Amino acid sequence: MITTGSKLLYGLGGGSLVAAILWFIANDGGSIGSVALVFLATALIFFGAIASYTRDGHVLSTDVAAHASSAANQPSVARSLWPIGTAISLGVVVVGLVSNPGIFKVGVALVIAMLAEWMVQAHAERSSADAEYNERVRGYIVHPLELPVAGALLLAVVVLAFSRIMLAASKDASILLFAIAGAVILAFGTLLAVKPNLNRKIVGGICGLALVALAGTGVATALDGEREQLTIAAEEDHFSHRECTEEKGYADKKAARSVGSKSSVAATITLSGGVLSAEVDGFTGPQQSVVLQRANPSTLVFVNEDEGYRRMVLKYGMVTEDLGDGVTRDVELEACTLLVDKGGQQAFTVTIPKPSFAATEPYSITVPGVEGRIEVVVP
Amino acid sequence: MSHRPVVEKPNEAMRTCESHNTGDSMNTRRRLPLALLSGLGLLALAGCAEDAPQDTWQPAGPNARMIDDLQQPVFLVAGIVGIIVIAAVAWVIIRYRDKGQAIPEQTHGKPALEITLTVIPVLILAGVAVPTVGTIFDLAKTDDTEMIINVTGQQWWWEYDYPSTGDNASYGIAEPIVTSGQLVIPEDTKVLLRITSRDVIHSYWIPKLNGKKDGVPGRVHLLRLEGDTPGIYAGQCTEFCGLSHAYMRMETIVLTRADFDAWVANQLAPYESPQEGTLASEGEQVFLQQCARCHQVNGIVDSQGNLVVSAPEQYVVSGAAPNLTNLMTRNTFAGATWDLLKAECRDDVWNASPEQFGARYLAGVSEECLNQKDLREWLRNSPEKKPMYADPAKLAETGGKYRGMPALGLTEDQIDALVAYLLERK
Repeated sequence: MITTGSKLLYGLGGGSLVAAILWFIANDGGSIGSVALVFLATALIFFGAIASYTRDGHVLSTDVAAHASSAANQPSVARSLWPIGTAISLGVVVVGLVSNPGIFKVGVALVIAMLAEWMVQAHAERSSADAEYNERVRGYIVHPLELPVAGALLLAVVVLAFSRIMLAASKDASILLFAIAGAVILAFGTLLAVKPNLNRKIVGGICGLALVALAGTGVATALDGEREQLTIAAEEDHFSHRECTEEKGYADKKAARSVGSKSSVAATITLSGGVLSAEVDGFTGPQQSVVLQRANPSTLVFVNEDEGYRRMVLKYGMVTEDLGDGVTRDVELEACTLLVDKGGQQAFTVTIPKPSFAATEPYSITVPGVEGRIEVVVP
Repeated sequence: MSHRPVVEKPNEAMRTCESHNTGDSMNTRRRLPLALLSGLGLLALAGCAEDAPQDTWQPAGPNARMIDDLQQPVFLVAGIVGIIVIAAVAWVIIRYRDKGQAIPEQTHGKPALEITLTVIPVLILAGVAVPTVGTIFDLAKTDDTEMIINVTGQQWWWEYDYPSTGDNASYGIAEPIVTSGQLVIPEDTKVLLRITSRDVIHSYWIPKLNGKKDGVPGRVHLLRLEGDTPGIYAGQCTEFCGLSHAYMRMETIVLTRADFDAWVANQLAPYESPQEGTLASEGEQVFLQQCARCHQVNGIVDSQGNLVVSAPEQYVVSGAAPNLTNLMTRNTFAGATWDLLKAECRDDVWNASPEQFGARYLAGVSEECLNQKDLREWLRNSPEKKPMYADPAKLAETGGKYRGMPALGLTEDQIDALVAYLLERK
């Protein structure tokens, strides 16, 4: 007997069988997909048979009264947002397909999440005729997943919005903002601790408003762009340390004074009075030559004691790059610091692959615009 | 008032069992002193080893002597404290053992006793701390350095390079010298090692010359070394560093100043190609085809006369392989794990008097003295001799790079030629 519940399963099973045959034909006898679909069809038809055998839970198809009072026949307890969520997610998938693989992956994840939620809600709403009980059923299943994900998303929104605001604000303003934000959070937390009986709705409202304000400001500042100095630094490619020339431009004074890796450096190179000198652990006095081990990460610190922005440049030979199709080009190996203002210092770590005797030009440390050099010997 | 448990009269079976237990107990009592005596005897014998090249109690330089001068009294104090504690515990165990007596009065808190037992260890530790801190500061001094050597650890060997800058120039080091396995230093010279690592943390330790110092990637640690008697001083990596950690050994060679000058001159001598038509000349070609990818021999040129520069960074995780320019001036290979000298020749060098040592060491490895067995086994299949993660099938996680020398699949003829070539690398 084909019951109400088994119709869908039989239908899907039959569809899967047809799909298996079509797959087999379309893929010139490709077996893996066909086998999978046949397995799916078998499983669905099996479940359909069980539904038929149990008559959808021992309710006779002719027992109209029982059908009318069954949980499956109760109207939905609430409007569901999952169908529209699924539709939007499918839209994201389509957009991702034509634009960006990342968006596509997000879309697929959203579709899976929406369908899962839809399925769970549908299951829960048919558990009983008691809406409250059904809601608890839904909660048991999805809350362990929903709550952490929602928390992570909330945190991501806060972090992203806050970081956009800080990157857009001027340096001084960002310091002030950070201090104020910290103070407000501390004060609010203290208030909650001192007065735990505050109206929950008021507290929730304040938090909600703050979140909306933060997110809105974050979006606005993200659209407005980062502060000018960062934009210029990015345009000058400072963050990749590729420009090792004498150009004038942006120097991050704070970064120049916050070298974290200076505790154990291979050498400290100082520019003072227009003269370069090296200080090396173990060697007494200023040196004009530095020995760095081959194929070993070595950290060099540059200290600028002179006026103006300066940067240190290390040149350590040439390599031949293979561009494919038999085309090669010689590339000079070099590393450099950011521009360093007077009194500042910067470090970089470099791994030199070849000994210096293998190069036609000696390896050297220079400061563009300054006479003199430090010889670098790599045994 | 204490209550003793009521013991029921045992039945026959229990009596039998009891009599067995009593016998066992007596046997145990007889065996215990014997076992203790045996243990103490073994402990005493352990300190009598004659061939103990890594004995920290036999200092051979001022730095190791400083440590020895500290550890002798500290061990004395610790020994006395240990004996007092053990004796007190033993006395309490024996004196108050269970003889069926009533449980003694239970008390809580004896301020005078507790303060005394706290103050005494504090005073002892404070007394030990003063010379300990002083020694640490003395060992960390670097302002009197006379020579600097860079020491770089990698899985599983040590590389030494002698910079040609600073005071090193006064020792005739006009060009950087790169060697491995054996560190050569002049006697009575304050040498400063700048220790680092190319891959994981290692630790450099020559017990007879100084304490140990870690080689940490990205950091340079300083260690003073000074030997006052010509000879060989053995050590080994003391920080677990992977599969062949146990095979990561090193030796420090102390030479007289004249012998050291001769060693430097030899290290800086220009490369000499083997004579045409010889087996060694064939070996040079094998070296160029098979070994020069990773191993550097300074001055070697290819058939077009171009200088050959090794590229270990392309093949080895650490980016380095031992420089073989003067391999046969060293007595060891493969991380100082195997001798290049046969046992009798090795003994001649190791047991030489300080006056004779330099000449014997500088003689290097002759064909008669070459330990062909180990060297050939190494060339035949090095990962079989020293485990090195060198299975070509398992290189995915290291980007196709080896952690040591792989098996090169050399033929016996190639090995013959290579050995002949290497024998000339003096």
